[in-house]
Formats: sequence, structure tokens, C-alpha cells
Amino acid sequence: MEKAKISAYQLFTLLLLFELGSALVYTLANGAKQDAWMAVLMAMVGGFCLFFIHYRLYCYYPNLPPMEYMQMLLGPVLGKIIAFLFILYFMYVAATILRGFGEMLVISAYPATPIFFINALFILVIIYTVYKGIEVLSRTSEVLFFVVSLLAVSIFLLIILSGNINMDNLKPVFEEGVSPIIKTVFTDTLYFPFGQMIIFTMILPYVNERKKVKRTGLLAIGMSGFVLALITAMNISVLGIDRTTRSPFPFLTTIQMIELAGFLERLDVYFILLVTLTAFVKLSVFFYVTVLSVSHLFHVKHPSHLAYPLGMVVLFLSMAVASNWTEYNQEWFKVEYVYIDPLFQVILPIFLLIVAFFKNRKKAV
Amino acid sequence: MNRKWFFLLLLTINAFLLSGCWSKRELTDLSIVSAYALDLNEEGQYVATVQIVNPGSVAGGLQGGGGQSLAPIIVYSVTGDNLSDMDARITKTLSRTPYYAHTNLIIISDELAKEKGLLPILDELERDSEFRTSTTTIIIAKDTKAQNLIRTLTDMEKLPSLQLNKTLETAEKNLGENVTRHVHDVVNDILSTGKEPVITGFTLNGDPEQGKKMESLQLAELEVFPQADGLAVFKNGKLINWIHGETARGTLWVRNEIKMTITSINWKKEKKAIAYKVMRQKTKVSATITNGIPKISISTRAEGDIAEVKVPINLTDVHVIENIEKELEKDIKNEIEKAVRHAQKDKSDIFGFGEVVHRTDPKVWKKIEKEWDNSTFAELEVDVKVDALIRRTGLRNNSLHTTLKKEGE
Repeated sequence: MEKAKISAYQLFTLLLLFELGSALVYTLANGAKQDAWMAVLMAMVGGFCLFFIHYRLYCYYPNLPPMEYMQMLLGPVLGKIIAFLFILYFMYVAATILRGFGEMLVISAYPATPIFFINALFILVIIYTVYKGIEVLSRTSEVLFFVVSLLAVSIFLLIILSGNINMDNLKPVFEEGVSPIIKTVFTDTLYFPFGQMIIFTMILPYVNERKKVKRTGLLAIGMSGFVLALITAMNISVLGIDRTTRSPFPFLTTIQMIELAGFLERLDVYFILLVTLTAFVKLSVFFYVTVLSVSHLFHVKHPSHLAYPLGMVVLFLSMAVASNWTEYNQEWFKVEYVYIDPLFQVILPIFLLIVAFFKNRKKAV
Repeated sequence: MNRKWFFLLLLTINAFLLSGCWSKRELTDLSIVSAYALDLNEEGQYVATVQIVNPGSVAGGLQGGGGQSLAPIIVYSVTGDNLSDMDARITKTLSRTPYYAHTNLIIISDELAKEKGLLPILDELERDSEFRTSTTTIIIAKDTKAQNLIRTLTDMEKLPSLQLNKTLETAEKNLGENVTRHVHDVVNDILSTGKEPVITGFTLNGDPEQGKKMESLQLAELEVFPQADGLAVFKNGKLINWIHGETARGTLWVRNEIKMTITSINWKKEKKAIAYKVMRQKTKVSATITNGIPKISISTRAEGDIAEVKVPINLTDVHVIENIEKELEKDIKNEIEKAVRHAQKDKSDIFGFGEVVHRTDPKVWKKIEKEWDNSTFAELEVDVKVDALIRRTGLRNNSLHTTLKKEGE
């Protein structure tokens, strides 16, 4: 275990930017149509529940990272297998996020640049951050939180001032009842982005203010859920439901619609900045946890030594993960949300919690 | 030591990679397309015409003179079956890569809009990251080829695309019979089952062959000039009819797109005796549904001033003002009802009544959605309520006609 400490506020900024990263880019809760913003809020409540699961486990083992207590709970063999599966999962998700980021840049701004170069440059920065450790990453996120807030507030103001918002687009509410919203929450929005906070079980042991973890976590999830719901509602109210679902990056299209005073227009760079900064935090956290998990499982003394080789793996995995944009999207909707995410984000943590509950009860008796 | 060298190497590599000149394009290698026109030829193929800014001529104005000898635009045409193909093929005649990010006008010929409709061309405009669907205006060339509009030189603005755009904007702001439609508005309206688009038409007065010559601009009164003319009504993406004058304005009243306009009413046998300038208005459309049958109510609230009076009338009397308001309300109501009847005859829901019904009662909408345009909308009961308010009477209280009449008595 790395000897590092982060504060509750740093955890807050990390978690918030983590949740926003790459979720800003895509259409969230497509299945709920114009009620998508409600689906996001519902998924946020689901996110609270998931956080409580992680938090209970953390309360049982406040000093141990999951890779270690898994082995204590399930025995060395099964524990190691599960821990290894988790590492594969983290690495796979890190690669998909990297790929998604690269695809976004190529589609929206760099049509002639090969995606490999964009991904390589991005992963290089992230390798360097992870090499420096969690403290550096947390402090970076503190600074970025300020920048992202400033960007987000100004972009919201610009969207409102440009007069593009048409609330009628959000109506009718509950067109098909509540069932499609709930279905969307459990097949889609709960896992991305909220469920991905499973990764923070690895970060929680570093927090030096134990008592504040619960409050901070809930606050960060609540705030990110609120911001994402706001952005979703804004996209739909500006673009209408049809164009929101047909755009790969609806927020980009919403920002492109801004036209103020005849010269404030073509603010695409706002979107790219916002996405790059938040995606940087998200991918750094994912990659850091991957590196850390590997070092815990295989008892590598200096986790930072793993940053370069694993970074190369993530980079090449990101290139191999899909052969085109359509395939990439299909993988999310047909594989990740259906099989992988529920397993790693919901089922396994609940299973671990149940085992931990019984083991610790025995001890108490 | 080793580490230091490695770090230095990394920095050097970054210097090459981060300098941002991967797919750089120099200004001298670009031809900036300011407008794009689409026609249909006899074989049913598309003819695309691009209007390119002539850099030498437009910038020449700064140095004084020089600009007059060269045309401010260069126009090329190409024939093809889809837009991307034509964009590629046009480079056979261009020395510089066409750049579409500044294209702020797309002209479509009425022939093309009638026969093929807008649907086949909209996808490329949306998908291409260079085109800006939110700032590109779309207009229909009425009774002329779209390429004629694009190559006609104009006097006020050097760039014809700018002239057309600004003309449209001015007419929209002052007259209220035309409306600026960006590509994304049209896409939204076409896709909605409860709304159809209207797009402004432009005609060309005079001989198109003369319009492309620089000499034609040396006259005080141009012989060839474009003019905004009517609104094109669409159904299922195809142009089906044109509306003009009061019907067009009535349509825009319902769509809540009137910015400013002049309405004149008759007063005691004198035709168009009192002119009323609408300064601002708000129109709300709502639906009530009884037994599964929707009914639409339109409520308009207009605010404005008296702009002109041709009859002796006492404008200092509140009761007179109230009477004028009543007459105005009747007049505007008439206009709106006329527009609604016209659209119902065309069976094209250009007001978005269907969307209102959808928002009000999604379940009923689901049942009537399929037959909306052809039967439900055509037989829809529409109730119009107009509230016209006269706020001020301008720089004179009573008209000179009032004084004249008193002297005559």
C-alpha cells in the first residue's frame, strides 16, 4: 500500500469529476426519451444505494484495499481469481474510456488525425500522473474542479442567454408511464456513470478523514447526478428528443447551437475542454486503480513501475477493443450494460458484503 | 543521468506531436464557400452550384478601388447523385479545397423541393462536421433556378449570400411575412409527426444572364435583383403549395414568429385607414380534448402603436382607442383564421398543432397520429382569440385630418 493521504475535499473533487467525465459526452438514458433527466436522477438514487454497499465494506475493512479483503473473505484461491477478474474489468473499462475519448475527438475536431496518436498522447499524460501517485492526482483534481466549475457555469449561462431552450421539448412528461424510465435506469444509466464508482473502493482507504467519507461520497454523487440531469434536460430542451438521440455527442450539438450577439458562436472548444479535463480525471483514476490492483495482487513493491507497461497495454487494448464506432457503441449496450457491469458493479459487491457481514458477526459473537 | 536524457527525449517528441499542425490547412489553400445551391436537371440528377468568395475582390475594398473590376464571387456548378459526391467532384474545377464552415445560405430550387423533397439532402448537411446546421439558412428558389439566385450580383452587400440573408432578416423583422429557417429548424419540423416546415421563397426579377455581369451593378435601379416572396408549405418533406401576403403572416402569427409588423384596418368606408404597428406579440396554442377529439385554441396578445391615420378621428378619447382595438382584433383574427383554413385545405400542419396535442394528451395522440394530417387536422375545430393593445399614438396626439375637419365644419 502506497503511503499517501488525501483529504475528504480531494475525494469530493475526484469523485465528482470522475462521474462527469465521459458521461458529459454521450446521450444518457436514451430509452426514457424526454424523461431522460428523471432517469438520471433515479439512477443517482441507485448510485446512493451502491455507494452504501461500498461504504459498508469500507467500514468493515477501513485500512485494507479490496484486493486484500477479497482474499480474506473468500479464501486465497477464489479471492485471487475474483481480484484478477476485477483487474481485467478495470483495465477493459479504462481502455473503452480511452477509445471513446479518442473517437469523440476524431469525430468532432480532428477528422484527419489517426486515433492512435490521440490515444497515445492522452495515455502518456495519464501514465505520468499515475506514476506520480494518488496525491498528485488528487491535487490536480482540486485545481481542475475549479476550472471545470467555471467552464460549466459559463456554458450554462451562455445556453440560457442564447434563448435556445424550449421547455415544450420536455413534454409530455411520463408519455409511456414510469416503466420505461425504470427499465432504462436498470439497463443503462445506473451502470454508466454511477456504478463505475466501484473503482473508489480502492481509493477510500487513502482518505485521512474517515468520518467525512460517507457525507462526501453522497454529496459528490448527488451533485454529479444533478449536473448530469441538468445537462440531459438542457440537451433535450434545446435539440428536441429526436436530435438528442440521433447525436453521438448531444452536448456538443447543444453548444454549437449557441449564438449570442452575433459573434459568440462556434464554442465547440468549450465542449472539448470540458470533456478533456473530466475524462482526464476519470481515466487517471481508472488507470491508477488498475495499476494499484495489479501491484496488490502480485505483490509488486513499487506500483509506479507498472505505470508504463500497463499504460501500453491499455493503449493497445483501446485500439483493439472495437473495429469501428458502431461496434464500440454496440459493445456498451449489448455486452457491458447487460453482462459485465451488473456483475462487477452490483452482484459481486453485494456478495462480498453478505460474506463480510456473516464473517464479522461470527467474530463479534 | 539516464532518466534525464529519457525525459529530454520525451519533451522533444512532444514538441513535434503537440504543435497542432497535423491536418493544417492554410487560408491560401481554401476556397470559402458562402452559399450552396441545389437544382434538378432533366435527367433527375442534382446540380450543385457553389458560390465562392473571391478573396482578391472582397479584400480590395480596403485599399480603395480595385474591387470593382473583379466580381466578388466565383461560381461553379457540378452534376451528381448525392451531395458528398458532388462536393468531391467540384474540386476538378477548383484550385483550392472548398471549405463549407462559412456557408450560411442553402438555396433549393422549387422543382427539386417538389419532386424529390428535402429529405434526400438533409442527412449530409447534418452529418458533415463542417456545415453548421444552426447558422445555415435554407431558402427556396421560387419560379427560377437556384443557381440563378446564387450567381446574381447584388449592390448593397458585395456577397449575394449576405444580401439574401440580410434581406430575409430585415423582412422578417419589419414585415413578418417571411421567416429565417436554419437547417436544424427544418430537420426538427420534418421529423415531428405533428408539425410541418415552412420555408421562405426568393424569386429573381429580371434576366438571370444579365445579373451575373459586373456592369449590371452600375445602374441606380438594378434590372436584376432577388426578392423574398412567400412561404413554401411542405408536407412529408415535399413542397406542396405557396402562401403569400396575409395568409403567410397569419401562419407566422400562429407559429409565434411575428417580430414586428404593420396591420391596417378600414374605418368608415376609408380603406386601410388606420395603420397599427405591432411592436411585440405572444401567441399561445393550447389543445383541449373531449371524447378523444382535439380542439385547438389560439390566443394572441399583440402590443403596439398607432403608426398612421388617414381619417379624422379623436385619438385622445379612450373609447375611440378601444374601438380601434376591437377592429384590429377582428382583423388579426380574420388573418389567422384564413391561414388556418388554408393549411387545413392543404392538409399540412404547419402550425405544430399535432405537437400541442401530443404534449397535452400523449395517449389520444397515439391513436390519431397516423391519420392526423389527412383527416383529423383538416377537420380540426380551431378557436382564435386575439387581444390587441394600443399603447401609444406616436409623436402627435390627434391627426392633422382632425384639425382639417374642424376647420371645414
